[in-house]
Amino acid sequence: MEPLDQDLDASELELPTEPMLLNVGPAHPAMHGTVRIVMELSGEVIERCDVQVGYLHRGFEKMCERGNWTQVFPYADRLNYVSPMLNNVGFSLACEKLLGVTVPERCQWYRMILGEMARISDHLTCDGAMAMELGAFTPFLWMIKCREMVWEVMEEETGARMTHSFGRIGGMAAPPTDGFKDHVRAVVAHIMQVLGEVERLLLGNRIFLDRLENVGVISAEDAISLGWTGPCLRAAGVPYDVRKAHPYMKYGEVDFDVPVGTNSDSFDRFMVRIAEMRQSARIIEQCLERMPDSGPVNVDDPRIILPPKNEVYNTIEGTIQHFKIVMEGVKLPAGEVYGYTEAGNGEFGFYLVSDGSGTPYRVRIRPPCFLVTAGLERVITGQMMADVVPSFGSLNMIGGECDR
Amino acid sequence: MPSFKLDDKEIPFEPGDTIIRAAHRAGVDVPHYCWHPGLSVAANCRMCLVELMPPPGRPAMMLDVLSWDDLHQTYLPQKKPKLQPACQQAAADGMVVKSQTSEHAVRARSAVQELLLLNHPVDCPICDQAGECRLQDYWLEHQASKKRMRDEPVHKPKGVVFGPTIVYDAERCIMCTRCVRVSAELAKDPVLSMRERGNLNEITVAPGRQLDHNYTLMTEYVCPVGALTSSDFRFKARVWFLRSARTTCVGCATGCSSFTDFDPRNQHVYRYRPRENMAVNKYWMCDEGMLDYQRIHQNRVLEPRLKGEDVSDAAALARAAEIIQASAPQKTAILLSAQHSNEDNLALLDLGRAIGALQIFYTGRPPGKGDDILMSEDKNPNRAGVLALSGGRAKPLADLAAALKEGKIGALIALGSAIENPNQAAALSGSAQIVALSSHHGPIADAAAVVLPASSWAEADGTFVNRLGLYQESDRAIVPQGHSRPAFRWVQELAKRLGLALPWSKAAELRALSQAPATPSPSVAPPAASSPPSASPPGGE
Amino acid sequence: MSQALIELVKQSFPDAVLESHSQLGDDTLVLAPGRWKEVCRFLKDHEQSSMNMLIDLTAVDFPNREPRFEVVAHLYSLDRGHRLRLKTRVGDRDGETVELDTIADLWGSANWLERECYDLFGVTFVGHPDLRRILLYPEFDGHPLRKDYPAERIQPLLQYRDEPNINKVAPFGPDEGMPFGRQTHKFGIEGEDDHLAPRPRVITPADN
Repeated sequence: MEPLDQDLDASELELPTEPMLLNVGPAHPAMHGTVRIVMELSGEVIERCDVQVGYLHRGFEKMCERGNWTQVFPYADRLNYVSPMLNNVGFSLACEKLLGVTVPERCQWYRMILGEMARISDHLTCDGAMAMELGAFTPFLWMIKCREMVWEVMEEETGARMTHSFGRIGGMAAPPTDGFKDHVRAVVAHIMQVLGEVERLLLGNRIFLDRLENVGVISAEDAISLGWTGPCLRAAGVPYDVRKAHPYMKYGEVDFDVPVGTNSDSFDRFMVRIAEMRQSARIIEQCLERMPDSGPVNVDDPRIILPPKNEVYNTIEGTIQHFKIVMEGVKLPAGEVYGYTEAGNGEFGFYLVSDGSGTPYRVRIRPPCFLVTAGLERVITGQMMADVVPSFGSLNMIGGECDR
Repeated sequence: MPSFKLDDKEIPFEPGDTIIRAAHRAGVDVPHYCWHPGLSVAANCRMCLVELMPPPGRPAMMLDVLSWDDLHQTYLPQKKPKLQPACQQAAADGMVVKSQTSEHAVRARSAVQELLLLNHPVDCPICDQAGECRLQDYWLEHQASKKRMRDEPVHKPKGVVFGPTIVYDAERCIMCTRCVRVSAELAKDPVLSMRERGNLNEITVAPGRQLDHNYTLMTEYVCPVGALTSSDFRFKARVWFLRSARTTCVGCATGCSSFTDFDPRNQHVYRYRPRENMAVNKYWMCDEGMLDYQRIHQNRVLEPRLKGEDVSDAAALARAAEIIQASAPQKTAILLSAQHSNEDNLALLDLGRAIGALQIFYTGRPPGKGDDILMSEDKNPNRAGVLALSGGRAKPLADLAAALKEGKIGALIALGSAIENPNQAAALSGSAQIVALSSHHGPIADAAAVVLPASSWAEADGTFVNRLGLYQESDRAIVPQGHSRPAFRWVQELAKRLGLALPWSKAAELRALSQAPATPSPSVAPPAASSPPSASPPGGE
Repeated sequence: MSQALIELVKQSFPDAVLESHSQLGDDTLVLAPGRWKEVCRFLKDHEQSSMNMLIDLTAVDFPNREPRFEVVAHLYSLDRGHRLRLKTRVGDRDGETVELDTIADLWGSANWLERECYDLFGVTFVGHPDLRRILLYPEFDGHPLRKDYPAERIQPLLQYRDEPNINKVAPFGPDEGMPFGRQTHKFGIEGEDDHLAPRPRVITPADN
């Protein structure tokens, strides 16, 4: 500010006439997973912006071409790293589509339960972070604590909290543990309770509602044209969910609704996720009832599944099977396939090109939040600077998935 | 061209061919263990069983068998067609053969595979054959199920030393008798045979003998499993880490085609394997040649040396240029090497021509043992090449020794390491100053004033001319070791320092000049030191 | 799955369709590159297909083939629920001239998807409003997903960029973009009365 003893008329203040360039990110607390937005501001209003992604580009698609098919699973984990099980399951399903095998029923229920738990963990993170960025720190901590409980279930089942590489072509790496069902029931019940508390805390708060309602609006046509899928598209009013439109595994046999928004603003995106968490809990409950407690988890094909360790050590056939699968990799037949599932952010697809050897020829990951982030320009242009944070948060861009 | 149908694919064949041979030529694989294109037919593994459709108008030959019926939980009598071994069945025009499309053949293969693995030890983690083992490949392709035997497998002797080069493991052996046939037919020494019967079968060496003929490593090469292992290669490297280069063996003038297997991570060569070349060695190599890879890493000169001391490249080159310039052209001589490729020799010839040196000599390794199967007494791979390149003007070692004694040579630019008559090594250390382009320690490097380290044959592409006059290319396997460079590169450096121009600058240009001439030079004398084989090795078509 | 779609395109553009198949339930059409945009527009607008979503656009490199690159697009219709995979082959063996018409004016998603394809494969989309690299930095040399780009290659180190107005872009500039209103105080021992500086001095980049 100019000093108060200044004679304003006599001073030579030079007021700028060009718009101000503001650089938000990439190292910014509110830029989820490193994104740079170069904005031209006129006062507080964003005239133009350029969203620059790619800071987390690790070259997954290239690295997949250097191993075998099973070695893609750790990469798949690190795509949408807040819901890694959904990525694992998505990749397994794409490979199994190319192979032409279907996993046993028990495995399908198991995958669904773990997948929906991962989806809950994804939405908890997104909504919790959104709340925190608006200043509501308490619900963030509650939701993160719930996410910890989900991760404890994952650790119990897979051995790792987050990036567990648990999926396999033709099944899962290990069968469910004994206490799996009880553990999941307890955790889901607690999460639903916490969700209720979060809603009571946030949804009556004037500031929270004002900052989210009618902020970051995008029309349904724009969203469809931009290729949006998942909660962001559903908040725009389009009821497209891969689980309902093209059911896979046992999603056609369980009851659940698809929450759809009306205003297509940040608030709707927030609420769609809360509602989806409740639907996921519903799915989990039905799957828990119907999942058999015994039975094989892996498909019975020695060309793709590793034998149990005691067979590897004691029989020549087990040794040979283990040797061939580990040294040469699972050999997917030559061809191409597009396998898609509903991940935390929308339609998560794998376009696989195989040449018949054990090495993938091309693994294309169709990242839902890449296209959602492409729409960020349209969402925040014309909004005020302060609206960027909740709008961007509501899109749930995960750097790992967007940039690969 | 008569042909038959194999799984709906037309396969042409020559009269006298068996089904499997014709299919092998057409690139179609019928699974087999005991058949080898270079050996006689034994038909004991029964893996190549195929279903032959009966000639038109005749019924199929059906056998009565008892087959397990799951529904009735008992054995019921059924009929199945008699399958024929493809390795023994002669092909006939218009025959219809079913291999993969016949469920009987598929079931037969699965059964044969199960029986072969019945008593097989769980040795994959320690077996050298892992990664190139037929049992592993065929299990996954043809059986993919567990065996039904619940008894303890039969135990047999393991680690039996057959001879100085081969170790035998009877539990892994599938009794295909390929090793027996190789010894009898290729090496003409039937020292191996089978003993005992039934599941106590083993291969044994004739009493009082050892497996010590010149082709013992071929028994290891043909063994489809890890029963016979080379004591030289065992436990040294895992085959999936090895890469193969297509090379020519430089052990003798036969010039067998080989694969040089090396590990690209540490640039070390671990073994040779024979490469099929119907014109030279068919499918085989001798023991001496197979073990010749050891010379790539033994006794090497890897640093430039000045009178026994390691120096820098620049210092060595400077001294070498000094020596050459100090000598008058008529007193400068070049010594070619029948051990080195055409490229190296041609480079040195061109340098000599540019200097104006008129005295050209050549030498190589001393002669050794030969036989009439593959081994040549001339242990130099490129004598014919050297003589062709020099237009027959290169003089042998005796003339070089005489010229040195008479003081006719002031400076000698020598390629190679060994000399043909080790007794004349003393003649080298005389009045002449020697600039040596050597890859190994030897009489030439020891007597030299300057040694420039040349790369061995495995470290550069090279062309070698064998005793039959065939120009054969050998590809590079590993990168030049230490400070060595291909000899022609050293020649290029020397020429630059001496201010001389060479007719080529790129390796590709030199290579083109080293290849077989369009019209053979009339002054190529047939190689005198070795004789062509009287009987060609087995495996002819 | 829905052969009807393939039939529809084949009937409307008989010379544009080079191959078609429905392996594993995925309908696929291989188009001639010159008709790419036409067929895409038709599929988007035609009532029977109404492909209102471009799900994915990418490329696959076949260095032994001529043309070398296969650009693959997946289309989806929200209304009808059917999918189609469109492929076209472009590019010469060396990967020098790889061009294809853009479809960014048909579907908004193509904007970033084509930018990514250009970035990682070097496919130039003719008519694209803003064809620049998206995942990699602008000075990157080469196109990494091509098969002849070795995965171990290390890019050269670069100098910091020389951007105009870099000093006005926070946090590099000393004045955070606001040229007026800043006072500087020199607390010197000599006792100059400059803490009462008569007017604020504008600090320009030239002073530094």
